[in-house]
Amino acid sequence: MSMNQTPLLWRLLIASSALLVTLSGDCLAEAPTSKKSIEFFESRIRPILVERCYECHSSKSEEIQGGLRLDTRELTQKGGESGPAVVPGGVEKSLLIEAIRYESFEMPPDSKLSERVIADFEKWIKMGAPDPRDTTAGDATETETQPGIDFVKARQFWSFQPPQLSRTAAIGGSEWVSQPIDAFVLTRLNENHLKPNAAADKRTLIRRVTFDLTGLPPTPSEIDSFLNDSSDSAYERVVERLLNSPHYGERWGRMWLDVARYAEDQAHIVGNNSSLFYPNAYLYRDWVIDALNNDMPYDRFVLLQLAADLVEPNDDSQQVALGFLGLGPKYYRRSAPEVMADEWEDRVDTVARGLLGLTVACARCHDHKYDPIPTEDYYGLAGVFAGTEMFNRPIDSDRETDKGGQAKKPADAIHVVREGKPTDLKVFIRGDITRQGEVATRHFPQILSPDQQRLLNNGSGRLDLARAIIDPGNPLTARVIVNRVWAQNFGKPLVGTPSNFGNLGQPPTHPELLDDLAVRFMQSGWSLKWLQREIVLSSTYRQSSSIEQEKQAIDPDNQLLWRMNRRRLDVERWRDAVLAVTGCLSPEIGGPSIDPESISETRRTIYSRISRLDLNPMLALFDFPDPNAHSARRSETTTPLQKLFVLNSPFMVHYAGVFSHKLLNDVGSDAEARLRYAYQLLYGREATDREIDLSLVFLREGQNDSQSKWQQLAQVLLASNEMLFID
Amino acid sequence: MTSGSTMPVMSRRRMLHQAGAGFGAIGLAGALNSAGLASVGKSDSGQPQSIPHFPPRAKRVIFLFMNGAPSHVDTFDPKPALAKHEGEQPTGDLYRKNSGSGFMPSPFKFRAHGESGVVMSELFPHLSRCADDLCVMRSMHTYVPNHEPGLLVMNSGNQQPIRPSLGSWMSYGLGSENQSLPSFVVLCPGLPVVGPQLWSNAFLPGEHQGTSVDTNSLEVEDLIANIRHPQLNRLEQRKQLDLLNAFNRLHAERRQNEGALENQIQAMELAFQMQREASVAFDVQREPKHVREMYGETTFGQSCLLARRLAEHGVRCIQVYYVSKNQKQPWDTHKENNKRHRELCADSDRASAALLTDLKQRGLLDDTLVIWGGEFGRTPYAQNDKKSDPGRDHHHTGFSMFLAGGGVKGGLMYGETDEFGMHAVHNRVHVHDLHATVMHLLGIDHERLTYRYSGRDFRLTDVYGKVVHDIIA
Repeated sequence: MSMNQTPLLWRLLIASSALLVTLSGDCLAEAPTSKKSIEFFESRIRPILVERCYECHSSKSEEIQGGLRLDTRELTQKGGESGPAVVPGGVEKSLLIEAIRYESFEMPPDSKLSERVIADFEKWIKMGAPDPRDTTAGDATETETQPGIDFVKARQFWSFQPPQLSRTAAIGGSEWVSQPIDAFVLTRLNENHLKPNAAADKRTLIRRVTFDLTGLPPTPSEIDSFLNDSSDSAYERVVERLLNSPHYGERWGRMWLDVARYAEDQAHIVGNNSSLFYPNAYLYRDWVIDALNNDMPYDRFVLLQLAADLVEPNDDSQQVALGFLGLGPKYYRRSAPEVMADEWEDRVDTVARGLLGLTVACARCHDHKYDPIPTEDYYGLAGVFAGTEMFNRPIDSDRETDKGGQAKKPADAIHVVREGKPTDLKVFIRGDITRQGEVATRHFPQILSPDQQRLLNNGSGRLDLARAIIDPGNPLTARVIVNRVWAQNFGKPLVGTPSNFGNLGQPPTHPELLDDLAVRFMQSGWSLKWLQREIVLSSTYRQSSSIEQEKQAIDPDNQLLWRMNRRRLDVERWRDAVLAVTGCLSPEIGGPSIDPESISETRRTIYSRISRLDLNPMLALFDFPDPNAHSARRSETTTPLQKLFVLNSPFMVHYAGVFSHKLLNDVGSDAEARLRYAYQLLYGREATDREIDLSLVFLREGQNDSQSKWQQLAQVLLASNEMLFID
Repeated sequence: MTSGSTMPVMSRRRMLHQAGAGFGAIGLAGALNSAGLASVGKSDSGQPQSIPHFPPRAKRVIFLFMNGAPSHVDTFDPKPALAKHEGEQPTGDLYRKNSGSGFMPSPFKFRAHGESGVVMSELFPHLSRCADDLCVMRSMHTYVPNHEPGLLVMNSGNQQPIRPSLGSWMSYGLGSENQSLPSFVVLCPGLPVVGPQLWSNAFLPGEHQGTSVDTNSLEVEDLIANIRHPQLNRLEQRKQLDLLNAFNRLHAERRQNEGALENQIQAMELAFQMQREASVAFDVQREPKHVREMYGETTFGQSCLLARRLAEHGVRCIQVYYVSKNQKQPWDTHKENNKRHRELCADSDRASAALLTDLKQRGLLDDTLVIWGGEFGRTPYAQNDKKSDPGRDHHHTGFSMFLAGGGVKGGLMYGETDEFGMHAVHNRVHVHDLHATVMHLLGIDHERLTYRYSGRDFRLTDVYGKVVHDIIA
């Protein structure tokens, strides 16, 4: 048996074909028209033939068993050594049926087909065995026949409809509605007989919004000035200050780097092969931070990352944006065509899931089973990347280059892309590069091109692609980024599958809200800071996070947003907070990467070196996503190994020591004063008497070395849940 | 951030409570929830997971990995025809032809051992005494003869570094037998080629990632990061933790009904327990001298001993990579094949045999599956080297591995390659089939252990894998 590299996605799709059979349902049962009968064959019969029979009974079989081929209509009916396999209309005359019932032959030999599938075959033969496979060469060399997607119908799906402004926005007389967002939320709450939580107190609110917008805890003086500002615009002023802080980009850049599967090396480095390290990758990361701090419109942000070389060829400072593509995975054996095909898949996947929320890569080997994405659409996009070259662009003109103009040393290069030879790929049948079908002219997915096919054929087509993505008529781009930003601020997205807005994704909990926000986002010049304001100034965002059981009984998962979600800090914000409260955090923005675990590195966690080969253990421990692929959202684990780090790591012990000394130095020897100061620094609140008592008892116990006890206490405070969660 | 689970908070807490009773009892859902994440809900795989699917034969796996790929024709697959046809060019277009190469007979003598008559070369004087426990599979094959994809396929069933590893799937499916230790531990001095991707959880929740332990030093403090506090003793730390618990309780009291806070408290307590448990489990110094000597005083030998200790302590999957400090793939004998196989096998033979013998004596071999092999095999023909004795090149269309214990038939030679050892021809076993069989022995139907990610259900064996029922006792 040959175990060739049958492409992965095809195999997966085959695996789910049983599910498909169920899903395609009984709508086909009554009096099949010709088209319906072909659909029946395509959805219920062909996948089984391909999956269970072709290995031994098709032109691609190493040895055709029993002389029987099942990969063309003609040969199927002709049959093999034992006679006709399929007699249209004659169930009992068809040997195929005998065989799959395990009556004579027992086929397939490894395990019997399910009763349901056998019934499908019987029904198919009764229908006259409709079968569109009419080439003599056999299915194995035939281009997949498209069952035909009804795009008009498919475009009825919510995410393919253009987002609409909504009129829901006014709920009469409710003072609670302070932003359009609130009206949508309140409508849903009213429908479900829920009331929103009261607003969070000011301390909680400033802590929440400061962590959300800058990734850092508020300082005691920032808290005080907010508490002492009794004007109506006090909160707005805080929000503006935070949005103008250079730390805003450091917090939000990381969200983007997850989307972009940013990393500074490759997963398969052998020995000291430094050609796969990207020592200047950080310049891309810094470009992202800078762009967000300057509130670069999101459409331009995307445009430059896909095509800076084409839209701003003379602006050297923008070229590094192309790291979005150029820092992507390069797989082992790049000279092999199947490896390049895997790389194109990475680019298609990152762009499609990351920017469009579409799982286009599913269509690499077969038409997407759930979304209206035919294989030709995948290759229509992959061709863009086939015509795009990885390019080690010299940082400046002084660098040594090779004949192709590429920097010879990684240290002299930024890793970007440039135009290659424009390429229209042929569809690889079932993803197999050795079996090429029709040419797929480069084009944007048809489902997103309602009027006519949108070709991507200027040069590589990369600029055309970028423009198609950021076209305001594209129903997905704005929704996807709005949903990502929402998720970061609420801890939970409106669409639960932020990189899959297709049929298998989750529908939005608040569709009108998402749409309204997406449209106004575009109308506001694709300004992310505008979007932040819309969200954090809302009453919805400002609610307390307390959980009342009666409300919880109605909506246990807070789908309806009757409260703020209590959230655990991600590793970036947690480490940054430890550094900030102990007075160690470096305010320096940008620059070469650091080891976040090292106690001599006091820069923010976003500056960590990100390795595909060997992800930093501290990051890996705390749910940092695998940078080998686009990350839709972070998982969140709680493990004892994380807690060993908190209990014993040199990092924690060091900062506990630093903090205990800071308390002594800043406050003096009065134990209670030190404790109260610590609570202000760490949690932004007064310590309670109970907490003071417990601490004093702890300090008095044990040996005399009081500084050691203070250090232990400091570690407890840093290790606490209050440090890890924001209300 | 809160998790994307659709599970009510209260039920998550109940799950956690159950988890406290021990992971082993509750399997998949409980093990995940014990991590405070309710990842089952998150994966929204929506399928009933009743694991084990059938009575398990093995509870745990120890995978001894010979990095670089051992030569099958010098170890477990004798090919007398190579002597008869020495120097002849193999036909076919599969492999590259090295100038002057041709079939190269093995200089090592093969003999049948034990009552069963399992054949192996003279390089295995110790293992030969375990012959009746071995199930030698001589008909392995894989996709490509390159280390990276080969390693990835053997460890994750996929050629690119984007899928969960075998051990991660085991951990996901079965949870841990010991709540004070990680369920998947990787022992390796430094890193093998490819590195941590070989024990990656990929899209599975983080707790299923292999915990890799650098065995360059076997001191407990070096093996487990942060295993103990640099200054505090257990009593001092207990008091510290009690204060932390008190603060966390006060914090949680002001935040009623929030299960996530309780999960953190529990995880902290587990970590505290693990310090003691891991200090014992990972400490090979506690073994008597004669036991340590039986395994051999080499890194690999002592790592095998450590593997046995971890198995005893309920670690679900233990992988021991045969890597040396300066060589990431010592078995990659492109030159001096014979000399180097002599050296490498001496070490591996002693340690592997000691492990089998020791497990057996302790009654652990019955439910511990031991796997021995590399990412592929080596060419039956020579790879000439100008300066030194010839080596053998990578070879993936036929090679050998062995299994022992854990419900496999001992004293069995399964499958065949052709007369030159070029191609597996009879009872062929692909790596996917090996994975399916390992899962089966663990009580898992490899087709039913799936995880929904990126809109699709994934599994270890992709759409491949047939359980090799013939080798199951």
